[in-house]
Amino acid sequence: MSVRTFQRGVFLPHYKEFSESEPISTISLPPEVIIPLQQHIGAPNQALVAAGDKVKAGQKIGESGAFVSAPVHASVDGTVTAVEPRPTFTGASVECVVIAVDREQQEPQWPEQDHAALTKEEIKAAIKEAGIVGMGGAAFPTHVKLSPPSPIDTIVINACECEPFLTCDHRMMLERTSDLVEGAKLIARVVEAENIVFGVEINKPDAIEALEKRIAGENNISVVRLEVKYPQGSEKQLIKAALDREVPPGKLPLEVGVVVQNVATAVAVYEACRFNKPLIERVLTYTGDAAAKPGNLRVRLGTPISHVLKERGGIKGAPPAEDGEIPMPPHLVGKVIMGGPMTGWAQSHLNSPIVKGTSGILLFTPSMVAKTAHTDCVRCGKCVDHCPMFLYPNYIGLYAEKGSFDRAAEWGAMDCFECGICVYVCPANRPIVQFVRQTKREIAAARAAKAK
Amino acid sequence: MPEQEMQLTISTSPHLRSPETVSSAMRDVLIALLPVTLISIYMYRWYAVFLIAVSMVSAALFELLFRKIMKKQATLHDCSALVTGLLLALCLRPGTPWWTVVLGAFFAVGIAKELMGGLGWNRFNPALFGLAAVTLLAPLYVGTTSTFAAPLRQFFGSLDVITQATPLALLKQGLYDQLSLSGLLIASPGGALGETSALALIIGGAYLLYKKQIRWQIPASMIATVLVIATFWGNPLENIAAGVPLYHVLAGGLLLGAFFMATDWVTSPITAKGELVFGIAIGILVMLFRKALGPTEGVAFSILIMNAFVPLIDRLTKRPKFGEIPAKKAAVAPARPAVSKGN
Repeated sequence: MSVRTFQRGVFLPHYKEFSESEPISTISLPPEVIIPLQQHIGAPNQALVAAGDKVKAGQKIGESGAFVSAPVHASVDGTVTAVEPRPTFTGASVECVVIAVDREQQEPQWPEQDHAALTKEEIKAAIKEAGIVGMGGAAFPTHVKLSPPSPIDTIVINACECEPFLTCDHRMMLERTSDLVEGAKLIARVVEAENIVFGVEINKPDAIEALEKRIAGENNISVVRLEVKYPQGSEKQLIKAALDREVPPGKLPLEVGVVVQNVATAVAVYEACRFNKPLIERVLTYTGDAAAKPGNLRVRLGTPISHVLKERGGIKGAPPAEDGEIPMPPHLVGKVIMGGPMTGWAQSHLNSPIVKGTSGILLFTPSMVAKTAHTDCVRCGKCVDHCPMFLYPNYIGLYAEKGSFDRAAEWGAMDCFECGICVYVCPANRPIVQFVRQTKREIAAARAAKAK
Repeated sequence: MPEQEMQLTISTSPHLRSPETVSSAMRDVLIALLPVTLISIYMYRWYAVFLIAVSMVSAALFELLFRKIMKKQATLHDCSALVTGLLLALCLRPGTPWWTVVLGAFFAVGIAKELMGGLGWNRFNPALFGLAAVTLLAPLYVGTTSTFAAPLRQFFGSLDVITQATPLALLKQGLYDQLSLSGLLIASPGGALGETSALALIIGGAYLLYKKQIRWQIPASMIATVLVIATFWGNPLENIAAGVPLYHVLAGGLLLGAFFMATDWVTSPITAKGELVFGIAIGILVMLFRKALGPTEGVAFSILIMNAFVPLIDRLTKRPKFGEIPAKKAAVAPARPAVSKGN
């Protein structure tokens, strides 16, 4: 079987051994959940509840009238104690519904229905109603992605999980193989795509085997083996590798007749259609060389990461939590990250809630923490060599550093999706991704000023 | 939460780094230069040791001095001054007066590198700039050389090989019978320190290629261009019979330049395609220098000239972004349904 891939990119250490063989387990409910009203890209939601209201798990608590938006739901039975801004994983404060969790939780009832009988409009409505967004981290509302203005012939399920450390999609493929395939079929039916392709990196042979066993005899569904290379799971690179189609700069995959959805999203679509179950929990990878008990965990949305740490024994080598306090000795833990190690967000505290797009919680020992001092560009060309978008990160960095954002854009800043490879390979340790973000902000501001 | 006990690092993604640093790369270059350095010491004894020591120490001191004057942080730990110092020494002949070496290091590290803004901002290869400076200034102090070099001889003893004709000079005069291919390849005296063993340079170059510190494009295109021109300049059959193309590759500073000078990160093009253009252009210039001018430092000047063209090469070889050119296979690949907008 041939192994396919895209051009350039980089081979990263996998670091998957911490958690890849840990079956998915469920985390207990925290005393309090914090549910950000906006967990997606698009219009913000308005709270449907106020302090003092009783809520049930699965009850819609935030909604907006806009199409590009996704509602949020209470993830537990409890009482709303506040609707107020709370800090989230990006460091920014976002309006959140804070719910005190009831001791007594009713077993949520999800009536089963025949998902195969649903029409394409009913599927799409169920996806929107369930508040499903891209769960690989981008958090773009799924029903919007499934409303393309031009025909789609192929659904690609992103089962690469190309970021180091993360293993939750891998476990989903093993433990929820059938639900995943059903979810993919539902997605294909919405956009009337005739083909489904699962793109899996070959470091997950058991997942490939499980999927192939499940789809045996089914036409139009296939598994493509992909090289273990970062960023194999980026949409454009995945489409190039799996289908040999190139999405032009500034365009979306639908331009080449493709929609990409990730594993967790497909399973959520299945649950939304089969059980009318809204997105109130997700599976994430809790790992890192400083984690006492790494694993793949099913967590209710809104659970603060401190609760997960407590449940999993906190920091490796540190005494267990007492009185709600988690010992975080500086010589044992240097960084806490929400998301993957290449695109995730470093945390300054442990109060951030888990949201729809949280694929991992990583705990790094101080020795894993990357140095931040940088020197001038030495023009080694490694960033140019490895850039999967064929950009010139060196020039983007040089010009942005000098404040010449137009020149930085000329060398490709606007086409960068911030995979982080240029920073990873840079011997001068230049923060090129930061320069890219700065350029994007400046150019957007300049365009907005011009439009006025 | 015991906030006071947490010392979490907050930085933006990515949170992983490759172990590669500028210092580790420079250390690789020093390791790669070790074989030729040892052979030059074996050939020239104390003359080589003296030259290398003076060059490396003065390069390091000039870097410290210039950065101090410009109130910048010291960067000796990046080892780039040591690399420049060693490369400069390898470009010089044994018996070069100590003050010429110091002057070379001053031009290399002080003028070409630090005055241009430090490592990364230099347009010209520092070691070659230093070499070119002392070569061009030589007429000013012609005649003083022997008087300055003479005192050394008392301590180091005489060394006949210093005064013998270089292989490149023999090549220029067509004295092929006095040249030995195997001698040139493995080890033979004559010329600069870095010209004593082609094999040692090839081993060093192979190490840098293996460590991915350099790419094959520049050395390969430079050497191939020299081979081709050396073959077809004049009668190709006679040239090949006399081994002229191989002599041109093995003699003089071509290999040192191809593996260690032209491949300098800072002063070479940024893409593989640009590097091919760069290497071919240097190869052409080298042969023009060697055929049209005296058998001196053609390689150094060729590389320096092309250094100046690097920004232009970068711009002319700018590659398209991902997806900018539709894949050629798209036409052949199984056609997807025609996309008709608005149905």
